[in-house]
Amino acid sequence: MKFIPLFISLLLGHALVAQKSELLIPKDAVTVFSINNISLLQKISMDDLVKYEFMEEVQQELFDGSTTGKTVKDAGIDFDQKLNIFYGRGDAYEVSGFTFGVKNEEQLFRVFDDFEKLESPYPGISFYGSYFNNLILRGNSALLIRVEPLGEKVDEMTDSIWYSRGNENPWDGYAYEEDDQLSDSLSFPETEEFDEEEYDEEENEGIEDPSAGEEEPEESVIEEDLNQKNYFELRDSVQVVMQTELLQAICNELLLNNVNLVNSDLRFAEQLTHTSEGVFYLDNSRNIEKAKGLWYFQSMFPSLYNDLQQLYAENIILGDLLLKENSIEFLMEARYGKELGSIYQKMNDSKFDKNVLKYIPESNTAYFTYNVDMREAYEQAYKVIMPILTDERNPQISTNVLTLELLNEFVNKDALFGTYKGSLFGTFNGIKKIKTTKIVFSYDEETFDYTEEEVEAEEDMPIFTLGFTTERGDIPEKVLKHLSRITSRFENRGEYWVYKDAILESADLYMIHKNGLFIFTNDEDLALNHVNGYGRKSLNKKQAKLSQKSGFVYGKVDWAEALNRFPKDFFNAEQNAIIDALRGKTGAMELTSSKTSAQKTNFKLVYNFEGEYTNSGKYLLDLLNSIYVISK
Amino acid sequence: MKIHTLIILVISIFGLSSCIEILDDITLHNDGSGSLNYSINLSSNKVKINSILALDSLDGKKVPTVAEIETELQQFKNKLEAQPGIHNTVIEYNFTNFIFKIKCDFTSVSALQSGIKDVIKELNKEKKIPELEHNWLSFDGDKIVRSIPELTIQSAKKLKQEDITSLQQGTYTSITRFDRTVEKWDNPTATLNKNKTAVMVRTNPYALSQNPTILENNIYLSPIKN
Repeated sequence: MKFIPLFISLLLGHALVAQKSELLIPKDAVTVFSINNISLLQKISMDDLVKYEFMEEVQQELFDGSTTGKTVKDAGIDFDQKLNIFYGRGDAYEVSGFTFGVKNEEQLFRVFDDFEKLESPYPGISFYGSYFNNLILRGNSALLIRVEPLGEKVDEMTDSIWYSRGNENPWDGYAYEEDDQLSDSLSFPETEEFDEEEYDEEENEGIEDPSAGEEEPEESVIEEDLNQKNYFELRDSVQVVMQTELLQAICNELLLNNVNLVNSDLRFAEQLTHTSEGVFYLDNSRNIEKAKGLWYFQSMFPSLYNDLQQLYAENIILGDLLLKENSIEFLMEARYGKELGSIYQKMNDSKFDKNVLKYIPESNTAYFTYNVDMREAYEQAYKVIMPILTDERNPQISTNVLTLELLNEFVNKDALFGTYKGSLFGTFNGIKKIKTTKIVFSYDEETFDYTEEEVEAEEDMPIFTLGFTTERGDIPEKVLKHLSRITSRFENRGEYWVYKDAILESADLYMIHKNGLFIFTNDEDLALNHVNGYGRKSLNKKQAKLSQKSGFVYGKVDWAEALNRFPKDFFNAEQNAIIDALRGKTGAMELTSSKTSAQKTNFKLVYNFEGEYTNSGKYLLDLLNSIYVISK
Repeated sequence: MKIHTLIILVISIFGLSSCIEILDDITLHNDGSGSLNYSINLSSNKVKINSILALDSLDGKKVPTVAEIETELQQFKNKLEAQPGIHNTVIEYNFTNFIFKIKCDFTSVSALQSGIKDVIKELNKEKKIPELEHNWLSFDGDKIVRSIPELTIQSAKKLKQEDITSLQQGTYTSITRFDRTVEKWDNPTATLNKNKTAVMVRTNPYALSQNPTILENNIYLSPIKN
């Protein structure tokens, strides 16, 4: 009979000895990026890593500037465990931090030397604190955590105590223009940096500079200051107490009850089993739940809010970062609940419009295609969302429901969704010189009098094309005809329309309605010579196939081309230096998606590069180092 | 005139990289009064300026809206007009071609100079600018001395090499006109108009930043005929 407790204690004992850093991630974490150190270090050795210039600064930070003979390897961190960075938000607080493995505590506290040991309420667990940060050690894992109560909750509690004690309004006589400035002032108004540049004398007329003059301050002013000082002291105390209680609640759950994100969310636990260099977790459903801006909605329409929460249930994004020999890949899986999934599925189940391929030149620098069916998405969204809205017994919502129902009946959906079906494409064709005009001052050499003359000029302009599939191109044509009657800036030139000086008051915008597409472009060559497409000069078959095969979205950027085509004039010297450094690192970025099911859509972002690199990790670090060295 | 300050302002706000055209035209009458006509022409960069104006911020600094620029210009005009000895101040601006002009009449060059200094001080929130102690314009009735303000020289030293190089394509024109003929002048690059009543120096902002004395000139006038 004693076998079972013995087995359990052995199991628990083993679990404690073999602690993993991820088991210290609080369940409130909504976003987590977990770096698989072992896997990463197989690609980039610690010895190589510490040689990089940007690592010098990291090491200086870690060792307070005394880096002699020390590297990150000497920080006491166990690189056999994952490094997890997390952020979360509760109803009354924000929590952030990271968890990692510990190899040598003595070395670790040379890094965290400003942390003081605190009394630990949890057996076998050490507690250290530095201001709002806490370092918690359990076995060979550590959690660096910061819990901050939300400002409005601290204010609420402070006000409640302040006024219940019969104190007067601390802001009486304080000259503020707007309420929100009041809350801004709560953070140390006297020590705030004062920007003389922004000080406007006229706006501040009538407000006396407290430091000016020799006169003694009036008694009422002293009382007012004291009142505010006391208020701030109370607020500070409230904040500390709330922070302590919140931290305790989180720690109790995590350290006493062993409730963490790994055992609370199996999706995250499964994600952690991946052998990729990094994994990403973002729980959108909880993000919606805690979204700041929804409090009004939540209090005014609680049942509708709950229904919408249901709609967002299971909405989560999971990702993997893979460093391969000649590529860096980011795999992302967007999962959602049944109802929201049904809308996405209908929307993304759209036939690829092959006509767009005609208008993507093979020489493009970047392009994307996006295929959705707005009509199907609308019908499904109407089916899913209307019952939720109709159930709400609220006059305001009912009026909106009626408006939506009437619009649904009266609006010609064939015309609306025939005009914009939902499929788009866009291309970036680099930079071209475009013709503009400029003014020059001309001087009479005899009198030195001058006149202003308008002359032709050239300026660099990014060339882009954006088009959408349409069955009712006659509708935008009607709008253009009307506009051309109002202003001469709109002109019909037979095969296309032109809107003069539409872009940055300098370049013309061309509009082409051909092959079931309505296209906007500032590429004069496309409008003049290729209104029916680029023909042989359009995208090659292989690339066209890749675009067609992708789910609802496809995108490609040729970095080498894009960087070579960036005009220097558009960037400052520092940015140009970074671009020059990147120029030596050629590559292409490609985004593809899977077909959308009712449960999920998968995305894949691949950055392929060329050149002689041992592996992608080395490439990535070289790139980071180049940028660091330039920006130093 | 605070030529270089304005150039630096233009570079820092607009990040310009090519053709800036500046005209600094002073007419000086025999009684010492006169008028100033100062123009900045940025029309060669209008695509870039428009693209920057479409942004909220650039390099971490807020990009002003057209309305804010107009307000600033109006403020500058009002402050300059309020200076003793300065009147008929007009500011013209054109946000299609980005041409900005400041015109004013003055009773003496010292009034113009101290008026400009006071406006700069006021716009800089009364912050002490030691460079403003320097005088760059003086007229004794027969000779005008034009130099570059110390403020400009100090500011030029702060320009990055990239900025300076990019200013090579710009032009800077300084014209000084008189009621009577000019007898001689010191600056070898200056030219005289046909009826000998105006002196012009043309350079580019790059050359100006490389050699701050390039625009210095002493112009000697013929005696007033009674």
